[in-house]
This record gives sequence, structure tokens and C-alpha cells, in this order.
Amino acid sequence: MKVSQIAGFLGSGKTTALMKIAEGLVNKGCRIAIVVNDVGEISIDSKFVEANGLEAREIAGGCICCQIAGSFAETLVKLHEVFDPQIVIVEPSGVAIPWGLKRAAEYSEAKAEMVIEHAPVITLVDATRIDMLLKAVRRLVETQIREADVCFVNKVDAATPEAVAKTEEFIASINPRAEIAHLSSVTGEGLDLVYEVIVDRISPRYDDAVEEELLRKQYSRRE
Amino acid sequence: MNHIERAMASLGDEEVDRLTSYPIACGVNRKLLNGGKGVTYAEWCRDPKLFAESFVAGHKYFDFDFAIGLMDLSVLAGDLGANVRMDDENTPFVDKHIIHSPEDYEKLEVPDIKKGRSNVIIEGTRIFSEKLAGEVITAGFLEGPLLALTQTAGAERVFMDMFTDPSVVHKGLEVMVEFDRQMVEAFGETGCNGLVWDYLWANYSCLGDSEYNEFEGQSKYAGMLNKLTSDCGMAFCIHNCSDLPHLDTQVNDFKPVIYSMAYYPLIPDSPSAGEVIDQGYADNCLMAGNIDPQMFIRATPEKISKVTDDLCQEVKTALCKRGLKSRYCISSGCEVPPDIATKLENIKAVVDVTKEKGKVEC
Repeated sequence: MKVSQIAGFLGSGKTTALMKIAEGLVNKGCRIAIVVNDVGEISIDSKFVEANGLEAREIAGGCICCQIAGSFAETLVKLHEVFDPQIVIVEPSGVAIPWGLKRAAEYSEAKAEMVIEHAPVITLVDATRIDMLLKAVRRLVETQIREADVCFVNKVDAATPEAVAKTEEFIASINPRAEIAHLSSVTGEGLDLVYEVIVDRISPRYDDAVEEELLRKQYSRRE
Repeated sequence: MNHIERAMASLGDEEVDRLTSYPIACGVNRKLLNGGKGVTYAEWCRDPKLFAESFVAGHKYFDFDFAIGLMDLSVLAGDLGANVRMDDENTPFVDKHIIHSPEDYEKLEVPDIKKGRSNVIIEGTRIFSEKLAGEVITAGFLEGPLLALTQTAGAERVFMDMFTDPSVVHKGLEVMVEFDRQMVEAFGETGCNGLVWDYLWANYSCLGDSEYNEFEGQSKYAGMLNKLTSDCGMAFCIHNCSDLPHLDTQVNDFKPVIYSMAYYPLIPDSPSAGEVIDQGYADNCLMAGNIDPQMFIRATPEKISKVTDDLCQEVKTALCKRGLKSRYCISSGCEVPPDIATKLENIKAVVDVTKEKGKVEC
């Protein structure tokens, strides 16, 4: 089962984008489940879920990965047992740290016969509020960008070209290795790339990444 | 040495027979009750007797050097009116906050701490502190004001309101501080030896020094609560499992006697046990950490034994290099998951390996 995270701070357009993405992937024949943050921006309409053949679950706005790890893992196990999705799209809280959610997802392997793989972590950055976000919650936004594999400058349909450019520049300064692209849930710009990122690409597992990093540190100490 | 002799010697950085050990096993101890059949998390965290019995059972089974009465991080928020989702086998958590507008902060009121889970944790701490008196160092566990407020209001909302409307956040924090003040005084009457504060948001991934100082730090709310803890006769301790903790503020300025922390190898600048000791944080404080909690579910006993052995070697090397004797406790970086899948043998392995490999010989 593949887990795809779509991160971003409150108001970044995560839930709207998530619904668009889920709908698009279902139309391409993927079996999709969504796990949303129930204290997030908007509720997922149950009619939307029924109409699109999705399976939805909610996790609390718990931002503290140690605390919600167990319930999140159990959510994945239940989804696996009753729906067996190919891809689970997760909308974490805006203060969750993406690798923490990767770790929590891998917990589920201890509870059921399943293997977790991860799609690249996507972070949405709201170009229409970039100045305000950088003043108010800069560190949280930086953390989510730093942890991302692909950053989408979101709401490009409503943002000025200057704001879009400033957002891109900020992302590149924080995470030079992240791929940067544009997204608009209104016009559909960028959605094809999102589909490709989620379906065709893989991001390292937490377990493997930790082992690799610990080994690297162990050898660098010896040197 | 017995547990109390070892713990007291480590607090004073005196020679010990081996390093102290305390994987933060709390909710998972409920699996030892009911003749080994266990009780549900929901039963455990609503009944002070079950809560207390589990710590006594955990101490007997695992042979820990400390007993710390952590329940979960939604105790205060739940009693303030937030809805807490209570699964049978997982940590309870808030799933409906009660702050939806700036005006809602002003509606917060300190609940009666003789009711609700505030009362369960205080009474439970009283019972296990009495039962374990003379055997092990005991401590209560309390959510700091900023953590309690974010659990009640939602962290994203509070962080945004810190910028857009800081005065309402301070109003909310004043209520949390008063709630915490009453809780500290009540814990002070239980007979526990210490009180562990969870000041989670002292985390550079979320807040810088100035914001942390404004909304919780030494000159504000935490300073008063830390002093009150000592004034009530309890050793002042901190647990912070964040990825980038404010060590200078929380260790050097707050001056706890014990500081428990995590380690995140994938986060640049997350300090390892050796680095923490090298940088002087164990000079005057018993530092504790930092085995990845997921290992208690997913690792084999052999694997977690190897990790514990490696941690003991790292700590002993760093202590000797720093001229210290014993000021590090082999622990988990955060609570051992209270999950049904957690392997009790892995908890025991951490304690047993520390007994075998934890002697410091410089």
C-alpha cells in the first residue's frame, strides 16, 4: 500500500487539492483512500466520497506524531482490510512533520500483513498568503518545505506573478533539492504532475533512511 | 545499589554500579494487569486504581529505576471541554477542539480538578507513589500551559493567533497556567518525588527563542510553574520529545534535575546522546534518552539490544570525555507506544542490556 502525504499549513488549500487529486486518480482507475485531518480546513462531503468510489477516514488534528501514531497506523490497517486501496492520500495537520507520519505509517506493518511504500512528500505553499505565512508561522512553513520532495506553489490562479516568484524563491532557499511546480485546484494546472508524482514515483522509507543515516554517522565518527 | 541509591547517585553525578534505565513505559503497563490479560486504555486512564496498579506491575516486571505517571497529552484539554477520542488500545487524543474564534479563548475556565481525568491522574499518582515509596523514585506528569492550550484549541490555530491576535492567546494561557498551578499543588500532596513537565513546543521547528519566551518561557509562565514545582517539594523535571529542542532555555535556564529527550537521525542538528553530553547539558542535569519508540513495536529483541548496547557505549564514552560519571539515563526518546503490538520483551531488553553494559569505567 502506498501512502501519499499532501502537507501544508492551515488554509494552504490542502483539502480542496486533495479532493481534486483523489477524483482525478479515481478517474484514472486507481483505488484510492483518503485520510483527512478532521480539524482541517473543510469537511469531506460524504456524497463526494460515494460518487467517486473512495474510502475516507479521519484522523484527529493531533500534531504530535508520538501520540497519534497508533491510531493512524490502525486507520491504515482498517483501510487495508476493508478496502485494500492502492494509494492512501493523507492530509496531515499543518504542524505534523512528514517523516513522523512516514514512521507512523510503517507502524502498521506490525499490525497486519502489509508493506508500506511512500510517494514523494508533497508540500503545498499558498502563494496568496506568502508574506503573512512567513511573518506568522515561518518556522513551521520552513519545516514542511525542508521535508518535502516536491513543493507546489498553490493557488497560482489567484496569486500575483510577484507572489508566485517570491514563493518559488523562498522554497528554493529552504530546500534546493525539492522540485518546484505550480498548482491550481481551480484551473487544474499542475494536477497531471501531481498524479505522476503520486502514482509513478517513490520516496525512501523512514526505516531505510534512518539505517542509512546512522551508518553514515557511525562511519564518519570513525574517520 | 538499589534503584533509589542509583538514581540519587546519578542525579549527583556520583559513581554508580551502572547507568540508570527507564524506557518511558506507561500506558503499555496496562497489559500486565488482569492476570496478564490486560485492560483497555479507556479503562486504564479513567480509573486511578488501575492506573496506579499498572505502574507497580511495570516496576515489578521490568525493574525500572524510575516510575513516571504519564497518562496522555489530552488530560487537561479533555477536562476543559475538548472532545477526547478514546480508543480501546490507542493513546487518547483530542478530536474536537473548543476554540473556534478569538472570543472563545475568553470563555475558557479552569475546571474542578477533583473531577475528570485530572483527578484520575492525581489520585493514581498518589496511589503508586505510596506503593512504590522506598523502592523507586516516583514522579507525576503534567502538560505545560502552551501544550494544554494547543491541545484545547488546535496547534495551527494557536500558532496563527500568536501572530494575528497574541492578546487572546495570552488570555488562554493565563487560564492554563492557573489550571497547571492547581495541578502542581495537588501533585505536591501526592507524595511523588518529582514532577515531569511536558513543554513540547520548545522546538525550533515551530518556535524561535523569542516566541517561546513570550508564550511560555522562563520570564513568563514556565518560570513561575517551575519554581512552584520545587516549592511544593518535588524535583523539577522536563520531558520534551521534539526534534529540535530549546536545550539552552530548557536545560541551562530552567535548570531541571532530569531532562528527557528524543533523537531524530534524519533531522539535521537533532542532537544525539553523545553530542548532548559533549555540549555540557549533562553537567548539571540528568539527561535521558533516546531509543526510537517505534523499535519497541517493530524491532526484534536482538535488534533493540544492539541499539541499547550502542547507546550505552556512546554515552559512556561521552561521559568519560566530559569528566562525568553517571549523569545519563538510558531511556526511550518518547513514550513507549502503548500499542497492543508493543513487545514487552523489547522493554525488558533495554533494561537488561543497561544492567549488563551500563557500567561506566573511564
